[in-house]
Amino acid sequence: MILPYLILAGLISASLFFNRNKMVTYVLLCAFVVLQFTITTVECSHMGISESGYFVADSLSILLLLILSVLCVPAFIHSIIFLEGRNNSAEESNIYFAAMVVLMTSLTAAYLSSHIVITWIFVELTTLSVSALVFHKRHAKALEATWKYIFVCSISVTLVFIGILFLSMAMHAKGVTDLSYDTLITQAPFLDVFWLKLAFIFIFTGFTSKLGLVPMYAAGIDAKDNAPSPAGALISSVLVNVGFVGIFHIYEIVSHTAVVYWANKIMLISGILSLFFATVYMLHVKNIKRMLAYSGVEHMSLVVIGLASGGIGPYAAVLHIVLHSFVKPALFFQIGQVHRVYQSKSIYDIGNYFKYNVSGAMVLLFAFFTVTGMPPSGMFTSEFLIFRALFEDGNYGTLILVLFLLTLIIWALGKNIFKMLFLKPVHFKEINIVRINPLESVSQFILLALVIYLGIAPPQVFVDLLQGALINIAH
Amino acid sequence: MTAILLILFLISLLYIAITNRLNSFINILAFQGIILFGVAFIELIKLDFTNLLFILLETIIFKTIILPAFLTYVVKKNNITRETEPFVPNFLSIVIVTVIILISFTLSQAIHDDHINKLFFIVAVSALFTGLYIIITRKNIITHVMGYLVIENGVFILSLAVGSEMPMLLNTGILLDIFVSVVLLGVFANKIGEILQGHDIDQLRKLKD
Amino acid sequence: MQGISIILIIFTSLFFTGILIRTKSFFSGRKGPGVFQPLKDIWRLLKKGAVTSETTSFIFQIAPSIYFATVFLSALLVPFGDQPGLISFSGDFVFFAYLLALGKFFTIISALDTGSSFEGMGASREGLFSMLAEPAFFILIGSLSLLTGHTSFHQIFSTLYMGMGSHVEQAVVALAALVLVAIAMIENSRMPIDDPKTHLELTMMHEVIILDNSGFDLGMILYTTNLKFAMYGALIADLFLSPSIPIYLAIPFMLFIQVVFAISAGTIESFMARFRMSHNPQFIFVLTSISLLIFLGALLLLGKIT
Repeated sequence: MILPYLILAGLISASLFFNRNKMVTYVLLCAFVVLQFTITTVECSHMGISESGYFVADSLSILLLLILSVLCVPAFIHSIIFLEGRNNSAEESNIYFAAMVVLMTSLTAAYLSSHIVITWIFVELTTLSVSALVFHKRHAKALEATWKYIFVCSISVTLVFIGILFLSMAMHAKGVTDLSYDTLITQAPFLDVFWLKLAFIFIFTGFTSKLGLVPMYAAGIDAKDNAPSPAGALISSVLVNVGFVGIFHIYEIVSHTAVVYWANKIMLISGILSLFFATVYMLHVKNIKRMLAYSGVEHMSLVVIGLASGGIGPYAAVLHIVLHSFVKPALFFQIGQVHRVYQSKSIYDIGNYFKYNVSGAMVLLFAFFTVTGMPPSGMFTSEFLIFRALFEDGNYGTLILVLFLLTLIIWALGKNIFKMLFLKPVHFKEINIVRINPLESVSQFILLALVIYLGIAPPQVFVDLLQGALINIAH
Repeated sequence: MTAILLILFLISLLYIAITNRLNSFINILAFQGIILFGVAFIELIKLDFTNLLFILLETIIFKTIILPAFLTYVVKKNNITRETEPFVPNFLSIVIVTVIILISFTLSQAIHDDHINKLFFIVAVSALFTGLYIIITRKNIITHVMGYLVIENGVFILSLAVGSEMPMLLNTGILLDIFVSVVLLGVFANKIGEILQGHDIDQLRKLKD
Repeated sequence: MQGISIILIIFTSLFFTGILIRTKSFFSGRKGPGVFQPLKDIWRLLKKGAVTSETTSFIFQIAPSIYFATVFLSALLVPFGDQPGLISFSGDFVFFAYLLALGKFFTIISALDTGSSFEGMGASREGLFSMLAEPAFFILIGSLSLLTGHTSFHQIFSTLYMGMGSHVEQAVVALAALVLVAIAMIENSRMPIDDPKTHLELTMMHEVIILDNSGFDLGMILYTTNLKFAMYGALIADLFLSPSIPIYLAIPFMLFIQVVFAISAGTIESFMARFRMSHNPQFIFVLTSISLLIFLGALLLLGKIT
C-alpha cells in the first residue's frame, strides 16, 4: 500500500502545485485527507508485515501515523483560513499546499520505514518541504529563518548520514550489509563498540535538529516562529516526532549493547542542557510564538530525559511525545487567531483576549493548563512517570534540577499567557478588530480533550500500542 | 596510489584554511572533485558497471564541473565580495586545521577493525570538522555553502571506505538530496542577495529573542 | 672520500647565487652580470677593512665569524649520496639544526647590538620565521628517520632516495623535497618570505639586519649565505641521489640538481611577489602541517595505519 500511497500523494502534490482553481485545490486536499486516512487504516491492519522491502508498520509508527492523520484535517482547515485572510497570489498558496502535502507524505514514509537509510532520505525531504513552508511570507525574516533552517538541517542530515556510515562499517565487519532496523537490533550485541558509539553520537546530534534539542535546536525555533501558524503547528508536532523516531530507533539498537549507559549519559546531558536553555529563553522571550517553540524544546528535553532514565521512562517518553503532538498544534492554531486579531506576536501588543475572542481565550486557558502538565491534563501523567523514572534511577540531583527548571517555565508561561488573556494591551486601538468565528476553535478543543482523555482514561488499544512501541528496547 | 590522493586531499584542506579568495576556494572544490574521482575509480573498479559509472559521473560531472560552475555563477550574479571574510586570522585557521587532522589521526587509533582503511577515516573526519570549522568562522554565507560541500566530500570519502555496498537506489537518493539542498542553498543565497542586498552573515541576525 | 661532500658544497657556493641572479635577469629581459659576479663582489669586500659603530660591543664584531663558522660546520655534516660528511654521528641532524640556530641567534643579537630600531624589527621577523620553520624541519627529518629507522643524515639519505619503493614513498620523498626547498628559501631569506632586492628598511628582513656590517664582515656574511644555499641544495640533491649510482655520475648529477635548484629559486623570485608580511607565518606553518602529513605518510608506510 505504501508505494501507491507515495505515487498518489506525489500526484496530488504536483497537481496542487500546477492547479489554479480554488475549488480544485479543496477537492485535492480532501482527496489527500482521504488518502491519508486510508493508509493509516490499512497500515493498522498490516502491523508487522514488511512492504516493498523497506517499510513496515510497528506500534510506534502506527501511533505517530494516527497523530498525523488526526492533525492533517485541522492543519488544512486552518491553512485555508490563513491563506484566505492574506490575499496571497494563487502561486504562493499552491506552493504552500504542495509543500504541506509533500511534508505529510514524507513524514508518513519516514515513520513507516524499516530501513535506516530510507528514514534518512525522507527526513531530508521533510527539510526541503518545511523550508518552502517557512519561506511562505517571503519577507527578510522568513528568508533568514529559511536559510538557517535549510542550512542547519542539511548539516544535521549529513551528520546522520555519517552516523549511518559508521553503523554500516560496524555491520560490515560482521559481514552483514543489510541496514534494516530488525537486522541492526539483532546484530547490535556483536557490533564494535567504537563504531557504535560514533554512530550513536552522530545520529543523535543529527536528529536533534528535528527534535529540537541541544546542540541543533536553534534552527527549529526560527522556523516555528516564522512559518505560518498552521505550518508551525505541524513543525512543532509531527515533524518533531520524526526526529524522535530517528533517535528512538538508534536508541533501540544501542540498548542491546553495553554502549547504552554511555548513550544514556549523552542523552541526559543533552536533555538537561536543552531544558536549561529553554528555561533561560522562556524567562525573557517576548514573542509568543518563540515562547511556544521553546516550550517545545522543554517538552522534548523531558522526553529524552525519560528515554534515558530507563524503567518506566521510555513508556512515559512515548506517551509524552503523543500528548505533546496534540497540545502544541492546538496552541499554534490558536496563536494564528491571536495574530489575526492583534496583527502582532509580541506579548506587549496582546492583551484582554477574552474581550475580543472568548472561545479562543478559553482555548488558550485550557491549553496553558494542559501544556504545563496540570491535572487533569494527560501530560501530568507522562511528566509524573518521567519524574518517577528519574527517581527510581536514583538520579535525585537531576530530578530536583528538572523540577526547579519546570517551575520556572510554568511561571514564565503562565505570566505571559495570563497577561494575554486578562491585562490590557499597551497600544491597541479597538477599531477594525477581526471577529473570529468560534467554530474555528472547535479543532483545538477537540485536540485538548484528546490529551485529557488519553491521559486519564487511556483506551486499552492505546496502551497496547504504547507498550508495543517499546518492545525492541532491552531492559 | 589512493594514499597519495588522500594525502593530496588533506593538503587541499590546509589550503582551504588559508585561502582568502572565493575563486580559489571554488577551484579547490573542483580539485577535490577530481581527487574523489580518482579515489572512487581505484577503489570501486570491481563494482558492477552501472554503479561505478554512476559514482564516477557524480564525482567528475557533479562535484567537479556543475557545482563549481554553479557557485561561480552565484558569486558573479550577486556581486558577492571576492573574499571569504574569516572572523579569525588565517594563521589560527591553519593551526586549527592541523590540530583537527592530528585529532582525527589520534581518533583513528581507537579503531580495532581490519576491514576499514584508517586513512579514509582520518581524511573523512578531518574534512568533516574542517568544513564545520569553515562554516563557523566565515562571514560570507556563500562560504558556508562551500564548507557544507567540504563536509559532503568528507562523507563521500567515508562512504568509499565502506566499499559502497549500498544499493543503487540509495545512492540515487543520496545524490538527489545533496543536489537539491545545494541548489536550494544557492537559490536562497540569490534571494538573500535580492532582499537583503548583501551576503554578510551579520545581516542574518535579526531573529532574536 | 668523506670530504667530497664539503668540497662539492664549497664549489657550488661559488656560483650558486650567480646562477640565481642570472635567471632573474633572464626573465626580466636583461643580460645580467656574470655567474661569478657575486663572488667577485665578496672578494672585493673581503679585501676591505671593517668599520664598526662606536655604540656596538664585541658581539657585533664576532657575530659574522660565528655565523660563518656555524654554517660551515653544519655543511660538514651534510652527506653526499652514500658518502658521509666529514662529521657524522647518530642524531647529527639535531646538531645541524641547532648549529644553524646558533648562527642565527648571533646574527640577531648583533643586529640588536647596533641599537637601530630597524634592525631590531628585522631581527624580530627573522627570529619569528626561523622559529616557525624549525618544527617543520624537525618533523620532516624525524619522519624520514622514522621511515628509515636511522638517526644520522648519512644513514637516512643513503637508505632514502627518490625512485625507491612504492608510490607512497615517492610521494613522501617528493613532499619532503618540496618542504626542504621552502625551508631553504626561508632560512636564506629569499623570495616568498623576504625580498633581498627591497630598498625600504620597513619591508626588509635579512637585509636590514646586516645594514651596519661592512667590509670584511659583510663579505663573510654574504659568502655564508651562498654557502647555506649550497648546503640546502646538497641536502635536496641527497633526496634524489641513489646510493647505487657510481661516484663519477653522482657528482655531475649533484651539480645538476644544484643548478636546477638555483634556477627554480630564481624563477620563483621572478614570478612571485613577496607575501604580505602578515601572511608569512601562515605560509611557514603550512610547511609544518605538510611535514605532519609526511609523518602520516611515514606511519602509513610502516603499516601503523592500515
